[in-house]
Amino acid sequence: MVHISDGILDPLLWESGWVITAIILAYTLSKMKIEDVPKLSVITAAVFVASLIHFQFGPTSVHFILNGFAGVTLGLLAYPCIFVALVLQCFLFQHGGVTTIGINTINMGVPALLAYLLFKYGMRFDLGIKQKEILFGTLGGGIAVALAVLFLSIELATTGEEFFEVAIFVATAHIPIIAIEAIFTGITAGFLATVQPELLCRR
Amino acid sequence: MISEIDRYAGLSSPIHRWDPRLRIVSILALIFSVVLLYNLTLVTIGMIFSIILVYLSKIPFSFVLDRLKLVFVLVLPFFLIIPFTTMGTDTGVEIARFYGITLSYRGIEAVGFAAMIVLKALTSVMLIFPMIGTSRMDITIKALEGLHLPNKLVQMFAFTYRYIFVLDDEFVRTERSLASRGFKRRGDLYTLTTVSKAIAMLFVKSYERADRVFYAMRSKGYSGKVVTLHEFDSGRQDWINAIAVFGFAVLLQVAAMSGAFSIYGGI
Repeated sequence: MVHISDGILDPLLWESGWVITAIILAYTLSKMKIEDVPKLSVITAAVFVASLIHFQFGPTSVHFILNGFAGVTLGLLAYPCIFVALVLQCFLFQHGGVTTIGINTINMGVPALLAYLLFKYGMRFDLGIKQKEILFGTLGGGIAVALAVLFLSIELATTGEEFFEVAIFVATAHIPIIAIEAIFTGITAGFLATVQPELLCRR
Repeated sequence: MISEIDRYAGLSSPIHRWDPRLRIVSILALIFSVVLLYNLTLVTIGMIFSIILVYLSKIPFSFVLDRLKLVFVLVLPFFLIIPFTTMGTDTGVEIARFYGITLSYRGIEAVGFAAMIVLKALTSVMLIFPMIGTSRMDITIKALEGLHLPNKLVQMFAFTYRYIFVLDDEFVRTERSLASRGFKRRGDLYTLTTVSKAIAMLFVKSYERADRVFYAMRSKGYSGKVVTLHEFDSGRQDWINAIAVFGFAVLLQVAAMSGAFSIYGGI
């Protein structure tokens, strides 16, 4: 639902979206090793599949976005992961738009990078609790979605006055998803920390 | 289950025979050109051209329409909200007012603007079918390599595309085993915890498998290059097609700049 379709945004906005995405993509890809391909692809595929799982939560039907999860597990490489997931979602499943892939990647990818930083630096604190992964996973997951929705609403609102009400509508519809993703990311981070810690990003 | 976009890649049509590299670039240019238009007439002309392309590709319209439904659901709110809300000084004609929400009609211009948004979104998605749906996905990915996309990105596309179906299968299996133990999805914390842990386990399993597959491929000489039996060859007909589609994309922009076909102020 955080995808913007074609033809809605101001051209200047999605054009600069492509430029910024190209820059971040070039930088993050330079940090990527060829051995990272399997891990990255599995999580990218997971982000793709998870966004297709809808479930009823209260009055709305919601689905996972998992950008915070990508950040916590992949670190910097969450950005190419989200880019690939969005491209495939657009071309295989017709979710979102073609011209808006750049800006949609920013909307989801930049919060993912922030979630990663939060998780990475958070884990360094000694809080005296056993599973810090759960705490910082929850925070990262929640903040990543909240920021993604915020970015989306700002973009819609700045495009034109007529989109202001749409922006408010979109933001309200996402409040349950923020809570769900926060809990999801927290639980999975805790689970992975005990089962397979190398899947979490600690670099 | 996820249905594949390349289900009709085995057909034979002028679009199917078109070199995938030129096809992707030309149709992509057309998509960007249509989205850049702010003129209802030209957008409609672009849409008609797209319908002709889909027709030429022989991909059944029922398949395309089925996928377009989703896009329509996503853009429908814009169509319903834009013409009927108040904004700034332009309050439009008030139709009804309930609980502080004013329903008003902003006139034909707003309806035209909303229609244009919906048409643009539908056109760009419709063009994906002749663009990607007319060759097998592995050939499309090889075409991306031929277009000099970064190799790491091409590999990620190839692997992710494979794992989507693996993970989808695995998820269905996990769900079935949850259901056989009496689990039902409800809107509570317990459901969320269980689903989260099931998905996390899915990751662990898939990650290990992905690693094994990757090393097996490496040991058999995989170097990151996409290898298929298909070799690209762009002849005269490929370039004629490309010039036709690309030329049309340019033509739309020229027409928009010349200001022809504008019906009412700015739209």
